[in-house]
Amino acid sequence: MIIIIAVGAAIFAPFAASNYLLRVINMTMITYICVVSLFVIFGMAGQISFAQAGFWGVGAYISAILTVDLHVSPLLAFFASALGAALLPAILGIALFRLHGHYFGFSTIGVVMILNGLFQNWKPVTGGADGIANIPPFGIASLTFNTEMSLFYLILFMVTAISVVTYLIHQSSLGRAFMAIRDNEIAAKCMGVNSYLTKIIAFTISGCYCGIAGSLYAFMSSYVSASSFTFPQSALYLVMLMLGGYQTLPGPIVGTALLMLLPEWFRFLQEYILLIYGLGVMVLMVVMPDGLIGGGKKAYEFIRNKRGWTDAIPKQPGNDAG
Amino acid sequence: MLDKVCKRFGGVIAADEVSFALTSGRVRGLIGPNGSGKTTILNVISGICETDPGNIIFEGDSITKEPSHMRARRGIARTFQHPRLLRRCDIKTNLFLGIDLGNMKKKSSVISKKIDQSLEQLLEMAGLKVNMRDSITSLSYGQQKLFEIVRAILTKPKVVLLDEPAAGLNTKEMERVKALIDIAIKNNAAVLLVEHSMDLVMNLCDIITVLNFGRVIAEGIPAEIQNNEAVIEAYLGKGRHA
Amino acid sequence: MVLQLIITSLAMGIVYGLVAMGFVLIWRAVGVVNFAQGEFLMLGAFTAYTLTEVVGMPMGVALGVCAFIMGLVGVVFHFMTYWPLRKSWDMTVIISTIGASIALKEIVTLVWGPAPLAVEPLVSGIARFMTVSIEWQFLFTIGIAAVLMGLVFILLEKTYLGHILQAAAQDQYAASLIGIPVILATSLTFAISALITGVGGLLISPIFFVVTTMGGITGLKAFAAVIIGGFGSVQGAIIGGILIGFIDTFSGAYISSTYRDAIVFLCLILALIIRPQGIFGEKIAEKV
Repeated sequence: MIIIIAVGAAIFAPFAASNYLLRVINMTMITYICVVSLFVIFGMAGQISFAQAGFWGVGAYISAILTVDLHVSPLLAFFASALGAALLPAILGIALFRLHGHYFGFSTIGVVMILNGLFQNWKPVTGGADGIANIPPFGIASLTFNTEMSLFYLILFMVTAISVVTYLIHQSSLGRAFMAIRDNEIAAKCMGVNSYLTKIIAFTISGCYCGIAGSLYAFMSSYVSASSFTFPQSALYLVMLMLGGYQTLPGPIVGTALLMLLPEWFRFLQEYILLIYGLGVMVLMVVMPDGLIGGGKKAYEFIRNKRGWTDAIPKQPGNDAG
Repeated sequence: MLDKVCKRFGGVIAADEVSFALTSGRVRGLIGPNGSGKTTILNVISGICETDPGNIIFEGDSITKEPSHMRARRGIARTFQHPRLLRRCDIKTNLFLGIDLGNMKKKSSVISKKIDQSLEQLLEMAGLKVNMRDSITSLSYGQQKLFEIVRAILTKPKVVLLDEPAAGLNTKEMERVKALIDIAIKNNAAVLLVEHSMDLVMNLCDIITVLNFGRVIAEGIPAEIQNNEAVIEAYLGKGRHA
Repeated sequence: MVLQLIITSLAMGIVYGLVAMGFVLIWRAVGVVNFAQGEFLMLGAFTAYTLTEVVGMPMGVALGVCAFIMGLVGVVFHFMTYWPLRKSWDMTVIISTIGASIALKEIVTLVWGPAPLAVEPLVSGIARFMTVSIEWQFLFTIGIAAVLMGLVFILLEKTYLGHILQAAAQDQYAASLIGIPVILATSLTFAISALITGVGGLLISPIFFVVTTMGGITGLKAFAAVIIGGFGSVQGAIIGGILIGFIDTFSGAYISSTYRDAIVFLCLILALIIRPQGIFGEKIAEKV
């Protein structure tokens, strides 16, 4: 499993990294969780959603409000975030999945904008534009995670857990139901898939992931404000997913890593960073429309075909070609 | 024998008061010129279209208002005129979609052994020697149609609806279709066959319903239908079985 | 007071309508949602700034020049985002436009600097009708925008060129078979789309500060207008735009100025639930 290898490698990395780099990596991992959530709802179930950043915000604010205003333990707040951010899409899904095709996607744009509006303006609850500060660090029993390093392990653990769960879903009949809906909803329905319910399930799971990411983010940065949870952020998740390869499990890893880490390496370009980022996205889409993983697969097969003729014959003997 | 899907009064302009019954282990053909409403009937049975007014009765229960997936879980399987496969998935996933249906409540590991055997048989009948990990798009059109039939009958459904399974197939493939339908019949399924290929229809069907402009214009055994004036007129020029 | 709100709504609405029209033109031509449409608005506004404040052109001339420049921008944009990806899947083009929107914002920041800019009104002064005073600016905006929309309409419906564009929009392959140069048609469509949106930007540049973020939310609201009006319908885009203008302005004034954006999008969701195909949209059936 690719995931486990990646994780194993990551465990050895932190011994050389600076605090700043760790923060970047932590942020990358949190973003990764949101991108995986998009993978579940879009990559697997085929329903594009721009609401992910909104759910991320819900998770973050729940944790923030519970720990700061209500002095709930961080662990409890964490679970509340995951639950809350799962409940919201479940309820929304009931109304929104009655919409077909891209109309659902449009409605998610509305969702994220409304959520952002609430975050920005609901002063008594969310602190309005000021956000919520002084969020205590995450802690379980006597352990407190208040260093970048400790957070790294915490987030890494969550990332691994979520990746494994996603993998399991992918291999299960639920995952197949998702993919059936993605590729051919009518056939799925005629094969017994309750597409309405299944879509809601996918949406709920993806919301839950975002909630977890949000909670981790709140504890990591000790401060949440509405400016992080915007439509452009959701669009960014989409870009990362597409760049990595939107239907493949390692896709989100590659996409997120690329778009979060590369800018760091090119810091010296300063002002031009975002410009190159934007142009880079455009170029990559032309060169590798299936994302990097997809492009990688194609390159691999191309090389394979060039090397061995016998492998390249597509039809097996014994099949009658029409 | 058990009585399956029964009367159907289609209020949709495409189907005008169509009624018939399907019986286990028997094949009913549904023929008619293009646009006569055959696919609409299939869609109504599988729940993609609504019928208003009209009733669909399955084993005594009225399923007229049931959504497609519930009907599928009762054991109504179908194929489509243009294969509806999961294009971005591999063959294994496509097949398992059918198996999932069959195992709704059971553990897949226990059932998978049994399924694998019959799966092997079916695939061989269909002449499909494939790698499970291959992309579904590696199959030719004819293979895809055969594959869809395999997927449908894999779960030993009680009703099988086939929408022009022979369209676009060569002779060898058509024979495979016949063989697969035979297996379905052996498993006591009630088969509804929508087809243009008279060869297949006349040979396989126990009873035939003929549609034109959404209305039933004739019903009977193959021999009768071949000589039915109304039918001949409707087809006008359609080749007849020699 | 109400009249003033109405005029403001109309002015904003008609600009939303221009942007919405831009969305629809591209959608109809190539089947893709252009996530950088709002940035066209932004570019138009910044261009207006340069032309009027830096170069010192009178607004009338600036209008024409800006339109021309935006048309060129549209063509370049077409060749960078759509054309190389025209044979691949929609999502790739959409992602490309997202990338373009980021790039455009950055280009603007690099060229014009990050500080907000101010543009002089097109027409200064306040008109007085009976007891009501309205800034000429708004009336002017409505007027010019309406004229522009009218021109586009005439172009599409009455001229030969327009028919070519429509044909290519409906079926690229068929159009190419009858000799229509698709590349010309699509690039021209993008040009028109960018042009009208950019002029929209010019029109509102005196009303708001010219900033790089102005395209974002306006673009999204215009997109909501497209959906409410009927996805794919040009009339729908215009009506939807005006409707959004009213919802935006009136809810800002009477309900809450802080939540006005959220209210607009709430209306979007409600509209989707009640009537997803919008006011003028068509239901598309899928053949089984």
